[in-house]
Amino acid sequence: MKWFYRIVSLFAGLLFVTPLIWMLVVSVKKEGMKITSLVDWFTPPYSLAVYDEILRTTKLTNWIWNSFFVAICVTALTVAFAAMAGFVMSKLPFRYKSLVFFVILSGLLIPGEAVIIPLYQVAKDMGILNSYQGLIFPALASPMAVIVLKSFFDGVPNDLLESVQIDGGGTWRIFTSIMIPLTRPALASMAILTFVGSWNNFLWPFLSVTDDRFFTLPMGIPTLMNQYTEDYVKPMVINAIASLPIIVLFVIFERQIVKGVSLSGIKG
Amino acid sequence: MRISKRRADVQALLFLLPFLLVYFLFTIWPMLKGVQMTFYKWTLIKKMKYIGWDNYTRMFQDQDFWASIWHSTLFVILTTPTMIVLAIVLALIANRQSRLQKFYRSVFFLPSVLSVAVISFLGLFIFQPYTGFLNSLLHLIQLLPADREVFWLSELGLSWVALTLITLWWTVGFNFILYLSAMQDIPDDIFEAAKLDGASNSQMFWSITLPYLKPITKTITMLQIIASFKVFLQIYIITGGGPLDKTRPVIQYIFQAGFRKNDLGYAATMSYMLFAILLVLSAFQYWLNNRKEANA
Repeated sequence: MKWFYRIVSLFAGLLFVTPLIWMLVVSVKKEGMKITSLVDWFTPPYSLAVYDEILRTTKLTNWIWNSFFVAICVTALTVAFAAMAGFVMSKLPFRYKSLVFFVILSGLLIPGEAVIIPLYQVAKDMGILNSYQGLIFPALASPMAVIVLKSFFDGVPNDLLESVQIDGGGTWRIFTSIMIPLTRPALASMAILTFVGSWNNFLWPFLSVTDDRFFTLPMGIPTLMNQYTEDYVKPMVINAIASLPIIVLFVIFERQIVKGVSLSGIKG
Repeated sequence: MRISKRRADVQALLFLLPFLLVYFLFTIWPMLKGVQMTFYKWTLIKKMKYIGWDNYTRMFQDQDFWASIWHSTLFVILTTPTMIVLAIVLALIANRQSRLQKFYRSVFFLPSVLSVAVISFLGLFIFQPYTGFLNSLLHLIQLLPADREVFWLSELGLSWVALTLITLWWTVGFNFILYLSAMQDIPDDIFEAAKLDGASNSQMFWSITLPYLKPITKTITMLQIIASFKVFLQIYIITGGGPLDKTRPVIQYIFQAGFRKNDLGYAATMSYMLFAILLVLSAFQYWLNNRKEANA
């Protein structure tokens, strides 16, 4: 029985990595080889020539850069804005607090997909289609981040805040010298989750950007793919180049990513 | 925190301002704007014409729209139970003591971080006839005779199978993580006590583990239904909504109405219908969760 479990487990594990391994193996094949059987992919000759060609002749590197730039801006600003908002929602008594909380909370119910058509019109009126601003700003409105961070700030004991106040520290100092350091793991999880989400975000860039100078990777991939229909090597190289940064990130930050997912229950 | 009332009001406003600004500009304002758009013939070059409730009556009579709603619903029906059963199985695997435990934990979640564009094209090449991975594999292990091909992406039933499989592979990791952490929260002494009483592994699974997973399963089910209902891109890339628009999900239909047929007013109207459906589902989830707390 033990062996049965082991074999099933191993099979499941292999099944999950197989598509990725196949992607990598095909991506290092020589172009134009005749593939008559599955075995042909897994035997040499191998070469990195197509990686070189794709990186030199396409705008893929620009798009990787755009994806990084947008994801970093979105992450930094989302976490900063949400932390500031979450902090006062958690610790500061002020007028209309429950109304503000209700407005933010109801935002959780609004799916981005449902407002994306009017959002397009709004962004067009503001003149931010086809720009970095247009890619970044609409992504910052994340009530989920505010609510999750608020619940972490709730866990910081009030005595600590009062001890800073007795020392003459103001609200800003409480925020930067107590709240931020004490909730760093939560902030890190939120940041990494936001980064991955932005890196992979497709629908909004797909609608709001038509100029290929501002494409992000998920946007650029379908555009490139349409040109290569014969051979598998180029598409797989593109897929591999697009995935490697995020896979490396996953390997480094696996713990935080997993924690972030289990804390917030955020879906796709 | 001890602070004078007026100072608290001013400071709260300053701290909230950046978030509230983007939130109003890019969520609340478009939502209100969208309501206005539903009453207009509204095109990309902004030629607007007030048409009253026409978009709404048109929507209720639009058979393609309701077909697309059905396709999204079918996708929910296909993915939700499979996504839950598979996630539990994977969590069981990764929760067992084994030298490969870390490997399992990583690989079951890894596909979730990949871009939808990447996994879609990967899926496209896996399910391609003649040269695709799956057919080649089936040929190799002789499950499929060399002179026959399975057309995964052009036969309706098979394309749903392909779309479900690729989506399972891609996103089951989220549910897997949630189940795994729920399993780790079950106190060990319960299992030890059961072992002393001579319970078998499968008895322990059915009468300890599974009941413990019930609350998280409710949450996951609803999250999964909402997430699956919003499916768009993998279908758009892999089947293009075909064959004959028979797999086209509702978001693709809305997108095409808005940007291919240049009718933003109608597209906005349909997004509100989508919104209403998702709202009902969310309300249902809220009700389920509260009922659970009331019972506990």
